[in-house]
Amino acid sequence: MTFVLDPTLAPVADIGDPGPDVDTLQGKRVGFRRDILWRSWDWVSDEWARLAQTDGAEVRFWRAKGRTGDEGDAMLKELDEFVAGIDIAVVGLANCGSCTSWTIHDALRAASTGIPTAAVCTDHFKDLASTLARRGGRSALRRHILPYPLDTLPEAEVRDIACAHYRSFLRTLGL
Amino acid sequence: MTSPVPTIDRSCGPSGCEVDWLTSERHQVADDVASFTAWAAERGWGDGLPLVPPTEGRVRAFLANCGRFPDEVVAALPPLQGECTVEKIAVNAVMAGTTPAAMPLIIAAIEAMARPEFNLAALNATTGSVVPAVIVNGPARDDLDIAYEVGCLGGAGGGAPAIGRAIRLVMRNLAGQLAGVTSQSVFGTPGRLAGIVFGEWEEVSPWAPLAQRRGVTGNAVTVYGAMGTTNICDMIADNGRSLLEYVGKGLAYHGANGTLPSSAFCEAFVAFNPVWAKMIAAEYPRMEDVQQVLWEAASLPVSSFPAGYDESLVGDRRIGDRMYIAQSPGDVLVAVCGGMGNLHALSMPSWGDTKSVTAGFQ
Repeated sequence: MTFVLDPTLAPVADIGDPGPDVDTLQGKRVGFRRDILWRSWDWVSDEWARLAQTDGAEVRFWRAKGRTGDEGDAMLKELDEFVAGIDIAVVGLANCGSCTSWTIHDALRAASTGIPTAAVCTDHFKDLASTLARRGGRSALRRHILPYPLDTLPEAEVRDIACAHYRSFLRTLGL
Repeated sequence: MTSPVPTIDRSCGPSGCEVDWLTSERHQVADDVASFTAWAAERGWGDGLPLVPPTEGRVRAFLANCGRFPDEVVAALPPLQGECTVEKIAVNAVMAGTTPAAMPLIIAAIEAMARPEFNLAALNATTGSVVPAVIVNGPARDDLDIAYEVGCLGGAGGGAPAIGRAIRLVMRNLAGQLAGVTSQSVFGTPGRLAGIVFGEWEEVSPWAPLAQRRGVTGNAVTVYGAMGTTNICDMIADNGRSLLEYVGKGLAYHGANGTLPSSAFCEAFVAFNPVWAKMIAAEYPRMEDVQQVLWEAASLPVSSFPAGYDESLVGDRRIGDRMYIAQSPGDVLVAVCGGMGNLHALSMPSWGDTKSVTAGFQ
């Protein structure tokens, strides 16, 4: 027998708090973070924004683009500015490996400012989203799960799904 | 000038130091490869190949030769984001079966991959079949027996496979890249086992070494997000212009990274065999001109895409009615390696908006 050294690392410390609940949409600035990948998320966030406005919210959008080099630095600055101007962050879409990574990254960055934040995932990538949230140090990050596959569905069907999910999405935010 | 090599030997153990610098948890196991491999596999440490038990003695030997303190944090590798120390890298390098002399190269490659522009968090999680390739320049190629001649990307043997495997074990055990858990790679790639590590045949290249063209002389690694390797064969071209155009066209295909709207930035990589490199350089002694011809050829007509794609073919890679696979000629990386058998170029399609990184090492 001999002694060997463990080749792995312990997980980083975890924050088990999902952050504050949303108490009302009335007068709140809801920010939707979009990306350049998923048209379905544009359609879903369109519908949720429309319904949130009906519930008295002001909605804002920001689209993440390239994440490397100078453009990547600019994205982080833009994200921070976007988050600074909203009361509630809705970050999507976790619908592939790399985009789930950035969705959770951006959601954690928003949540760290103390505002109610939800990451939006499709069903196939929900486990990855949970894992990355835990490994990012906030396992309790709010996540709303949409069906999968989503992006291959017709636009009208995706918009119907968005409307059907709106109330449960609000519950995800604690409302 | 201060020496980069520490004057304190921190590889010493409790009996030799007031403080034991090695902080990894110890496990008591049988000291044979088969038993340890089975035991490690149960813990998710393994890649399916036999593992060398990382005993204290072996790990200390690696640390004694790398010129870095064991507790130095090299990077926080995503998705785990824990502190990846020199000690932990050494433990994984031992398991991979590489040599202590490879530690500086391995550390340099990991540091390069951890740079923000490499986008490792996304790369390690993606559905794509990507692995960071490591192209080596400088005397270390020979010192570490890293192949750059015939069969250099696989089959030549030498030190590269174990070095590549060490980096892959770091990604598994320290970054936490696990298939089906954090990595969503639909197919994976053989390169995720022993990496893609090869040298440039600088001695026969008509151009300056890749790393030198990127600002680093001497020993250096260039890490590149590779979606595997693709062969480009030609038996017709009898001049540099035709050959470059033909290879350039071979870089562009539907579904290539550069054709995807999700990739805000794209690169391409081409390796020329020495025979072709000589023929090309006779007409194009300047690398910038080689890249220009390759880039101009590496595009697809928008009309060749199926209906419904047109509105997605946007951004600065669309110029007029053509879609280019990279933003600019300088984003086409070129190296010289491989056998003298001619006939083939090698392409490594890029992944996502990862930007390649070059870093030097001692």
